[in-house]
Amino acid sequence: MSEGPLIRVEKLTKYYPVRRRLRRLFDREQHYVRAVDDISLEIERGEILGLAGESGSGKTTTGEIIVRLQEATSGVIVLDGHPLEADTRADRKRFRREVQMIFQDPYETLNPRFNVFETIAEPLRIHGVRHKSEIARRVTECLEIAELKPAASYLHRFPHELSGGQRQRVAIARGIVLEPKVLIADEPVSMLDVSIRADILNLLKRLRRRMGLTMIYVSHDLATIKYLCDRIAVMYLGKIVEIGPADEVIAHPQHPYTRVLVSSVPVADPDYVREEVSVDDAPPDQINLPEGCRFTPRCPFAQSDCSGCDHRLLERRPKQFSACIYAESELKPRSIP
Amino acid sequence: MLEVQNLSIEYTTEDGVLKAVDDVSFNLDRGESLGIVGESGCGKTTVAKALLRLLPENGAISGGSVLFHGEDLVNKSPDEMRRIRHRKIALVSQSAMNSLNPVYSVGHQIREGILAHSDIGRQAANARCVEVFGMVGLEEKRLSSYPHQLSGGMKQRAIIAMALSLEPDIIVADEPTTALDVVVQGRILQRIRAIQKQISTSMIFITHDISVVSEICETIIVMYGGKIMEQADSASFFRAPYHPYSLGLQNAFPSITDTAGEELVSIPGTPPNLMQQQPGCRFRERCPFATDQCRSQTPPLVKVKSNHHAACWYTDQVDDFRTRARDRDTWEAVRTRIEQQEAPQQ
Repeated sequence: MSEGPLIRVEKLTKYYPVRRRLRRLFDREQHYVRAVDDISLEIERGEILGLAGESGSGKTTTGEIIVRLQEATSGVIVLDGHPLEADTRADRKRFRREVQMIFQDPYETLNPRFNVFETIAEPLRIHGVRHKSEIARRVTECLEIAELKPAASYLHRFPHELSGGQRQRVAIARGIVLEPKVLIADEPVSMLDVSIRADILNLLKRLRRRMGLTMIYVSHDLATIKYLCDRIAVMYLGKIVEIGPADEVIAHPQHPYTRVLVSSVPVADPDYVREEVSVDDAPPDQINLPEGCRFTPRCPFAQSDCSGCDHRLLERRPKQFSACIYAESELKPRSIP
Repeated sequence: MLEVQNLSIEYTTEDGVLKAVDDVSFNLDRGESLGIVGESGCGKTTVAKALLRLLPENGAISGGSVLFHGEDLVNKSPDEMRRIRHRKIALVSQSAMNSLNPVYSVGHQIREGILAHSDIGRQAANARCVEVFGMVGLEEKRLSSYPHQLSGGMKQRAIIAMALSLEPDIIVADEPTTALDVVVQGRILQRIRAIQKQISTSMIFITHDISVVSEICETIIVMYGGKIMEQADSASFFRAPYHPYSLGLQNAFPSITDTAGEELVSIPGTPPNLMQQQPGCRFRERCPFATDQCRSQTPPLVKVKSNHHAACWYTDQVDDFRTRARDRDTWEAVRTRIEQQEAPQQ
């Protein structure tokens, strides 16, 4: 094991080519959706990083590239000191063992024809565990870690015989059975009922403590991010606009977009006084991006200088970086049309 | 304006009769906004559908009445209901934005609705379309857009515009913002609140997200297992809930205002099986304070203070419950109890 961050992402980009339409037939230029555009970040061992943002911000794409469900257009991902480029099949297999993913919908991610035992045993078999007793032992152990106890009573059940929370636990047990170093969870609780969400979040917290897991938690729900994550990275149209300690970013957002995001979260407290930041909710155009800061068209504080913004992250508060060219105290009401 | 009295609804399934809603009563005044919250399967959507008599074929109202301006909707003929739906009581359903017809422009679809349910002319209908689009914050030119040209938030707003187009007395909104992004949800909630004040429509807002209710509703009903557990003025409810289920929900819900280090505690167990009718409180299995009385007798909804009712036998001990409910061990004890009960069956 080497020193330094467990995951280092450098200048990661993912462009999707846009299909040409008939009227663009003579338009030579190929257009792209820049789903992830030149992002860099580091994740420490045992850290839980939250990736927040709206649909289309690139948060899910980033997660999927890190587990290699998608290939990046360019950029480097370094896992535990090993760059993941130009690797062989064997390397990829080793990598898959170390980075696992949990998805949003526990109703769709489990194979309905696999019972719980088969679901969890499958990755073990793929990765060369042959002994039946060894497989049984690991499956039982993981079910118990995922708090499906007694494990024996769940082994032969099929997904349709389980509740939503239990299914998500099975998905988690499958995710940890190979003892990965990194777990990427994409909205793992958004489909679950409120009364059991807390259980899954607490389970993820315990996994970190127990297995020293490093996690990337992708969600649009700032409340669960704040509860679970050490740091939060806020994404907007493929760029990281703010990154820092989760509590600080939510209590003192530095980037105007983060302010908008925080002020939009409903709060179950009649006495809560929120900062009203109004913003145009028209969806941003993902192909024809504005020059400079991508939030400019919707930003309540936009100035003419914003077209010169290069999304460089500036440390505005301790360990809290914002891509806005203005510090919070310098923000003035919008002066451009 | 709307009085729901002792409403009970049953679904007939292959395995027997499922009592989805049991003895639910509430009133809705003009201009009032009521939030119904609960987990999946608690009966909240069934109540909404029953108000409009849109229950699926295997569902039926088995008792009670729904008085709308003094007339009972339960006994209306399908034709009479058709005149009330959309025009007097409009529904914005969960996946409404996917129910737009892809081959017609949204403006066309809204106009069709207006023409079918009222006797105004084509021109007046067009003008009305422009007006309701303005209310929900969509540009007039969007009327000629087709559903695939609009984002999820815009489609959902078009649906809300459609619901508003005939100035209904009541809008029933079933999870209207669940599928949307936070920022868009925030904006739509703001709009709904503004529109509601502007035209004094009443609203029933159904959601699993109690914080959304806190943001836009004056009254809240908490449902569990087909029954009302607590019914209150929302400010009063969110400052101090009474029912143990509500106390549990409060612990389970993460909020951006929580201080760091606070631990969320979920409610152990699963909602009751409504196929088996048993006496007693529906929440007793998961309640840390349940007694023998809770197992044998169903608690009625009692008044705990003005505009605040709870269905618990022990509302007088609420101070003690509140203190104990904050403690994680209280709920862990329930988990142990449930595990012990389940163990012998295996």
